[in-house]
Amino acid sequence: MTASLKQLPIQILLIMASCRHISSKTVGPTTPPLVPINPLQMDTRSVVLKGENKAERVELQNPVNLSLECIWTGNQKKQLNITGYWRKDGVEIQDSRVTVNLENQQYKLKQTFSIVNQESLGNYTCVFGNEAELEFILSAPQVGEKRDKPVVSYVGDFVVLTCKMEETKPKPNTWNWYKNNGTHKEEISEATEPHRYLISNDNWKTKLKVKNVSEADSGLYYCGAVYNISTSMSSVELKVITIMEPLKPFLSILVEVVILVAAILIYERSHAKKKETEANGPNSDPKNTQSQGEDNAAEENASVRQRKA
Amino acid sequence: MPPTAATNLGYKPPDGGWGWVVVFASFISIGFSYAFPKSLTIYFKEIQEYFSVSYSEIAWLSSVMLASMYAGGPISSMLVNRYGSRPVVMVGGLLVCTGMALASLGTTIIHLYLCVGVIGGFGLAFNLQPALTIIGTYFQVKRPLANGLAMTGSPVVLSTLAPLNQFLFDSFGWRGSFLILGSIVLNCCVAGALMRPVIKPAQFQPDNDSSMSSRKGSVEAAAENVGSQSAENSKNRSTGQSFVSRYIDISLFTHRGFLIYLIGNVVMFFGFFAPVVFLAPYAKHQGTDEYSAALLLSIFALVDMFIRPVTGFLGNSKWVRPRIQYFFSFAVSYNGVCHLLCPLASGYGGLVVYAVFFGLAFGMLSALLFEVLMDLVGAHRFSSAVGLVTIIECGPVLLGPPISGALVDIFGDYKYMYYACGVFMLVPGIFFFIMHYYNYKKLNEEQRQSVVVDLMTSEETVELKISQIKKPCNKTEDGSF
Repeated sequence: MTASLKQLPIQILLIMASCRHISSKTVGPTTPPLVPINPLQMDTRSVVLKGENKAERVELQNPVNLSLECIWTGNQKKQLNITGYWRKDGVEIQDSRVTVNLENQQYKLKQTFSIVNQESLGNYTCVFGNEAELEFILSAPQVGEKRDKPVVSYVGDFVVLTCKMEETKPKPNTWNWYKNNGTHKEEISEATEPHRYLISNDNWKTKLKVKNVSEADSGLYYCGAVYNISTSMSSVELKVITIMEPLKPFLSILVEVVILVAAILIYERSHAKKKETEANGPNSDPKNTQSQGEDNAAEENASVRQRKA
Repeated sequence: MPPTAATNLGYKPPDGGWGWVVVFASFISIGFSYAFPKSLTIYFKEIQEYFSVSYSEIAWLSSVMLASMYAGGPISSMLVNRYGSRPVVMVGGLLVCTGMALASLGTTIIHLYLCVGVIGGFGLAFNLQPALTIIGTYFQVKRPLANGLAMTGSPVVLSTLAPLNQFLFDSFGWRGSFLILGSIVLNCCVAGALMRPVIKPAQFQPDNDSSMSSRKGSVEAAAENVGSQSAENSKNRSTGQSFVSRYIDISLFTHRGFLIYLIGNVVMFFGFFAPVVFLAPYAKHQGTDEYSAALLLSIFALVDMFIRPVTGFLGNSKWVRPRIQYFFSFAVSYNGVCHLLCPLASGYGGLVVYAVFFGLAFGMLSALLFEVLMDLVGAHRFSSAVGLVTIIECGPVLLGPPISGALVDIFGDYKYMYYACGVFMLVPGIFFFIMHYYNYKKLNEEQRQSVVVDLMTSEETVELKISQIKKPCNKTEDGSF
């Protein structure tokens, strides 16, 4: 009994220590380990900051150990020592505060991060005291050409939605399509509904053919380019309308044309009738004078009236 | 002063009044004819994805439409010769509307070729020829100005259709847009309704033995078919009319001026449209972004729009009108020089300067293109002439852009294409200058000869009449002479 009692505080201490260990692990999922675990590819990105805040986009395809370097040329004060630290997505990374010395009129901050998955991608900011900040935006290759206007299709017809990755960027492993289902994105699988969807992937391009659309198919569709590190998403909007929509302007313009043509022809008919009655009035028998070819005066009158009209 | 061949109209055209309404109607018809095929390119990308075809298969749509428009020329001319401009334009408008409406229901790309390309193209042909012809019947003195104003329709309608098509596409997709475009094109029928057949006043020239028919035409011409009148006139004009030549004037191939125009134009059209097509791609090749490249086209269209009426006005002035063929030759050569100098343009500023000068050149040439043909063959035969010219020009118009494209692909550089286009335009320009100098000389000679012949015949007629008055018994037997 006494032995177990004596062991109890030690056991409690051990449990507390292990709890702390566990809690520290769960607290920092967003904090990448500062020491590389696996032999990953080394890649270096360096940006020079000169008195202005800047941001640089970095696109990564595979998991890497990424070394980010910030160089700041300082300001008027030219302090010998300055505190620098790193932030990820606005939250200060633990144990990243260092003292930076002024060397060759420059301050340097360099750090290596292990970027392996979606969580480790994001915005990394190096901060020099309270003076200057420089941001690195890490992401998977983004889809460049995004269509901002919706694709319009008609009830009963099929529609082809496309996503295209620039060919200068790395080729995706594959493409996935998702439909916005209110709360979450649901993956569109050709296998489950082959009569409705047809997905054709072609390296940098993907096409989703939705057959026999109805108004319920309207909404946002997401295409995801799958890379080793993460999937980069883009969206396309589909709008389904009935044939009635374009039919209304068509019919209204048709009516306008018919009215105008009728008005022009009726005006002309009535105008011509007026002229005929005018010309025929004083010249009661123009045909009698024709054969003689002598009554030039009457002829001249008719032609002059014609020209005046 | 070199004579123009258009004085054989047989009546004095109004040169105003309702004529300006007709110019407006022609403005619309010509505008749709030229701008409609070009404006459809906005839909190509989506149609290409929808039908899963390559870009060249889609580009064929424009080519088929243009080819039908040019090939339908002679048929259009025959119909205009027989029925007059108004019915043909209205039928043309209906055809394009039907074609577009059917196309909106299309399920294959072939369906689109037939509906938009063939039917639509023919409909546009039935708009173009009559619109040009009717200007010749309404104007003589102010004809270059009227032509210039009517041809301005092309850039104006294109500038209107381009943003409209984009808006329709965003709202209705390609199917709905085709349907609505069909109804918009139906406004050509309104233009056709405005193309009232010209009222020809009575003639009382003693040597004109068609005075009986023309007297009949004084009051009733407004209600009567102009076609029947022109048929009567053609009967009186010459003997030996075969069935075909009653509808279309094949004797034009023996007409010197017509041949000059035809040969020059056939060569010229190889290099006519290609620089327009390749302006934006060339700019992008030089490194400008897409919006600036589109801006170049807008500058080009704007300059084009303003220079066409100005050219018409200049062509009408008393210094230029008698020598309008030289003005046209100058316009063609200027185009050629412009293209030859284009590769020297460096940077975006240079391209803007080129776009301005090219706009000037293109507009000048377009405004004069049909005016000089009217000047050469006369308004009477113009309808047949333009039909024959367009069907023969079909070839160069279709082959021009692909050949230029091939030159770009082979050499990987645009400058050879510009050199080629420059040569294709400069050579006909110089050809026109030389040939028209010769033609004007010949026409002067012929006119002097015909004046002499007229004097002789009128002297003979006077002598004959004097001798007849001296013998009254013969006159009563023969009746009127």
